[in-house]
Amino acid sequence: MEGIPMLLLTLALWGYVTGSLAGLVCWRREKLANLFSFGSAALAALCGIGASVVCLAGSATSFEIRWEFLESAVPYLKFSVRLDPLSAFFLLIVSSLGLALSIYSFGYARSFYGRKRVAVLGAFYNGLLLATTLTFVADNIWLFLIAWEIMALTAYCLVSFEHEQPETRDAGVLYFIMSHIDAGCIILGFLLLFQMSGDYGFDSLHGLGAKMSPGKRDAAFILFLLGFGIKAGIVPLHIWLPAAHPVAPSNVSAFMSGVLIKTGIYGLTRVCFDFLGTPPLWWGVTLLAIGMISAVLGVLYALMEHDLKRLLAYHSIENIGIILMGLGAALMFLHTAHPVLAALALIAGLYHTINHATFKGLLFLGAGAVLHATHTRNMEEMGGLIKRMPQTAFFFLVGAVAISALPPLNGFVSEWLTYQALLQGFGTTESLVRLVFPLSGAMLALTGALAAACFVKAFGISFLAQPRSEHAGKAKEASPSMLFGMALLAGACLLLGLFPTHFIRLMDPLTHQLTGQQLSARLSLADGLVLASLARDTGTVSTLGMVILSACLLPVPFALWLVFGRNSKTRRGPTWDCGQRALTPQMEYTATGFSKPIRMIFKALFRPRREVQREYDFSPYFATTLRFESHVEEVFERRIYRPARILIIRASRRIRAIQMGSIHAYLLYIFVTLLLLLLFAI
Amino acid sequence: MNLDPVATLAQAILLLLLAPVLSGLIKTWKATLQNRRGPPIWQPYFDLLKFLRKDMVISEHTSWIFSVTPYVLFLTALAAGLLVPMVSARAPMSLFGGVLALVGLMALGRFFLALGGLDPASAFGGMGSSREMTISAIAEPAMMLAIFTVAITAGSTNLSQIVLASQGPGWKFLDPSRALAFTAMFIVLLAETGRIPVDNPATHLELTMIHEAMLLEYSGRYLALIEWAASIKQLVLMSLLANIFFPVGLAAETTPVAFGLGLLFFVAKLIVLAGAVVLVETTNAKLRLFRVPDLLSAAFILATLALVSTFLFT
Amino acid sequence: MNPPTSETGSQFITLLASLMLVLQVLLAVQPMLITNIRIFALQSLLLAAIAGVVGSAYHAGHVYVVAALTLVGKVLFLPWWLERLVRQIKIEQEIRPFVNMPASMLICGALTVLAYVVARPITSLERLGSNTVAVAIALLLTGFFLMINRRKAITQVLALLTMENGVMLAAIALTTYGMPLVVEIGIFFDVVIAVMVLGILVFRIRETFASMDVSKLNELKW
Repeated sequence: MEGIPMLLLTLALWGYVTGSLAGLVCWRREKLANLFSFGSAALAALCGIGASVVCLAGSATSFEIRWEFLESAVPYLKFSVRLDPLSAFFLLIVSSLGLALSIYSFGYARSFYGRKRVAVLGAFYNGLLLATTLTFVADNIWLFLIAWEIMALTAYCLVSFEHEQPETRDAGVLYFIMSHIDAGCIILGFLLLFQMSGDYGFDSLHGLGAKMSPGKRDAAFILFLLGFGIKAGIVPLHIWLPAAHPVAPSNVSAFMSGVLIKTGIYGLTRVCFDFLGTPPLWWGVTLLAIGMISAVLGVLYALMEHDLKRLLAYHSIENIGIILMGLGAALMFLHTAHPVLAALALIAGLYHTINHATFKGLLFLGAGAVLHATHTRNMEEMGGLIKRMPQTAFFFLVGAVAISALPPLNGFVSEWLTYQALLQGFGTTESLVRLVFPLSGAMLALTGALAAACFVKAFGISFLAQPRSEHAGKAKEASPSMLFGMALLAGACLLLGLFPTHFIRLMDPLTHQLTGQQLSARLSLADGLVLASLARDTGTVSTLGMVILSACLLPVPFALWLVFGRNSKTRRGPTWDCGQRALTPQMEYTATGFSKPIRMIFKALFRPRREVQREYDFSPYFATTLRFESHVEEVFERRIYRPARILIIRASRRIRAIQMGSIHAYLLYIFVTLLLLLLFAI
Repeated sequence: MNLDPVATLAQAILLLLLAPVLSGLIKTWKATLQNRRGPPIWQPYFDLLKFLRKDMVISEHTSWIFSVTPYVLFLTALAAGLLVPMVSARAPMSLFGGVLALVGLMALGRFFLALGGLDPASAFGGMGSSREMTISAIAEPAMMLAIFTVAITAGSTNLSQIVLASQGPGWKFLDPSRALAFTAMFIVLLAETGRIPVDNPATHLELTMIHEAMLLEYSGRYLALIEWAASIKQLVLMSLLANIFFPVGLAAETTPVAFGLGLLFFVAKLIVLAGAVVLVETTNAKLRLFRVPDLLSAAFILATLALVSTFLFT
Repeated sequence: MNPPTSETGSQFITLLASLMLVLQVLLAVQPMLITNIRIFALQSLLLAAIAGVVGSAYHAGHVYVVAALTLVGKVLFLPWWLERLVRQIKIEQEIRPFVNMPASMLICGALTVLAYVVARPITSLERLGSNTVAVAIALLLTGFFLMINRRKAITQVLALLTMENGVMLAAIALTTYGMPLVVEIGIFFDVVIAVMVLGILVFRIRETFASMDVSKLNELKW
């Protein structure tokens, strides 16, 4: 039993390595490359799931392996890997999503045949999975940072996979720059920790914060928040996310949104709950506030998008916000010494993490299938796809219901837990700070309702009604492997939604590790049928119960129909067209139109601009051609990043004066430096 | 487990039967106040029967979403109704979810209704969906905050527990925080049930309709289910308000007399609330769409004040 | 293993090292390119001789390898290659250094003094000869100065090579057995490759700018 998780984990890691190499070996044989690299990745992911489940289900707390041969090759570095409950939990996320994505990729990669090198895609894809897995299980600073960098680099290569488009290149560069800034912050943060511990192993970092001076601890927290925050995509550090996610191949977008940004969450959890000790109050409040802002702004910007994948990318920001609300509340509870509530909030946040991975992965895969079929990401050119791609539409709908936090799917469950944590948090402190709990609850409600609006738009405009373009009219259903990949994730959404108590049992070792509490017994009622918030009286919910109840009530409408409407008939006819001759797709409500009320209500934020050009023959009311343009201001681009960029460029111009282009001058710089150093040595 | 099948069945029947007459009552009283004769209060039953008997015409552009929507809407409204205490303080299905589940179920119904509005490819449906989702989105925070105010005092999100807690010593409606929370919830009720000044349930005037715009393509028994679901939702929200803020006369024992008395009180409270709705509807004009957020943000502020006054000034 | 201290060997090394320094100063004032290359070859020969003496004093086989490599590479191959280059591009004389001859002599002297001062704390670590480290540092510094002072790419290559000679000298003088063979071979090939690349670059520069003057490279700046 002891060795099984580690064996499986090792197998998984080698599986990714094999997948990466196998793809490259079959450089020219596209089909073989596809089969080997994604097949290997799927098997490796399966091993990863096994390792994490065994580790979480068993009571054993942590396992370790070291690779001596690697350590002997590179001096000073230690390559050790540990599977503790927190790592295992995130390993579960990366592996389960990895499995579904790899299966999906079999079919998806076929669209690149003859156009791009599938081998390259497979190699980098496996590399990304490997690096992400290593990030989650690394047991010392070096390995963590190396894995972190490989992850950023492989992700960059995948983002710029279709580098023929300038948009893709720009997004890639932006992502590259941002991930370097985040790596810089994280390295500095770890240096602060290392200064205190004197050892690179994570072992020596547990609870280190207690020994650090408050100033240094706060500095470390801020550095980690910036570094991991960029990766997670918190507002206002999110700008790379809506640029990079849409342009990547869809299986990679799904991975980036589902898992890659979760490395930020993993890092924050690891650092805040494991390394930095009992937090001061403002850490939790900061996280909660950032969470609120990210959630609301993320969903508002998502509503303004009509690029399907960009819309989903903005929703990732929203969901990261919701996750951070859970984590922030947990930190506040740790400060006020309420470990049970901290565990509850932590469960809420991390449950939402895995939920977001499943439904966002599912939605991106659905978007990928749509993109594949219609060759456009613009929702205004889709429509009517539910008739041409019925299964994809169904899976997308499942994802949409889940992400809108509607019962009975998983998004509802984790948001319910978050609400409960926030509600109960009100009583933990007497200070004015406690008002933040109901306020963030209200913001969570706003977020949920706006997300529902956004997904009515996303699903309704893209899949329902009449096709709005020729491409959409000729769309074909996705291939079986793509559908199977989506089906896996849809099934996961359903299971995580209907059986939360069983899943929370897996999180027991995790909360025990970080807060010393095990809550699964207190959260489960009636043999796990009902999810309770710590006690029966404080609130219960049962998604499964709701489903059963609805199933029992289903005979009511049918009985009514049988009793009264036996003789009624159903026939098909045209939609009412106000007496016009025919309804054309041009008359449908557009995505832009759908979100207009929101745009008007929040116009202080969006500052919408619009331009209308009308050409008419005799009366302005009968225009012959009409051109309409509408823009929304990207506040953060304009107000933060553009000034910063201008400042940097201006400073660089000044500094460039020392770059004269003369070799002699450069040599002189070096020489003078050398002389100065020598004189200094005397 | 206290899942009582009899109570569940009884409450389901109560929901199904009481909901239309409540709508009829509001309609009749409104007519009376406006010096019209108005339909009899039983009219909604006749309407439902007529719709159930009629043939259906379904748009050729629609998909299965359009056909599933009436069922989803009806079932979610009915299931939500079983989570709310009506005659007795104990709601039959309150173990399966509290106020958050109630909000979630209603949101699920609304989600599908909005999709159903988009499905027939008509601009009206899209307009209705867009407005409905927008208004519900900005109504939600106010509603949640008002709910939080009562839920935090009761220490529970379970509706039975909330009602039991507010039944405690002394009737607390006069408490300013509860009055404020009630007002906020009342505004949300007007928005959620599509009442003036947010929406006009009696209109089919294209440019102002919200709820009706989504239903334009529905006919026959689908329309019956949707109308019925809408009236059930109204009943659920009104009984939520009635029993949380006026927890009087709820059956404490399981005797027929107690239940009868409870039912009487329940109906009386609903009639009072319906009267309030009628008064608001007749004395106000419908707001322009972009003025509605002002109203709802007022509700949000009221709910915030309720929260603050509960926990800072006492 | 304590090496036998050899008085004669030590004196011999000191002599050879100071000769290397003298050659370096000569290099600094000599404008003819071909002569420069030959001076460099001679300097490398001295280095090879030092390596040979160290090898015989310690009976260390791999130092002989270093000596042989230096002989083949720096005394024979590189001078030959550079001379060929000079003949091909038909430029024989260095014109207009940034600093004139007397001044460069003075600067070289000052740098040598600095090198002696800097090397004082570590001269005690030397096993053979005295002040070889100081000579090595002086070679480095004057080589560097040479690089800054000259305009022709070829002279800069030569300056780089003399700097490398200084590094080698320090390595041989300071450590008992020289550096590990791998490292020395690594450095050696590094230099050879660098010189080849520079040689090609010289052609390119001349083609593009019709001159071998590296000062013209700043036209590349945008």
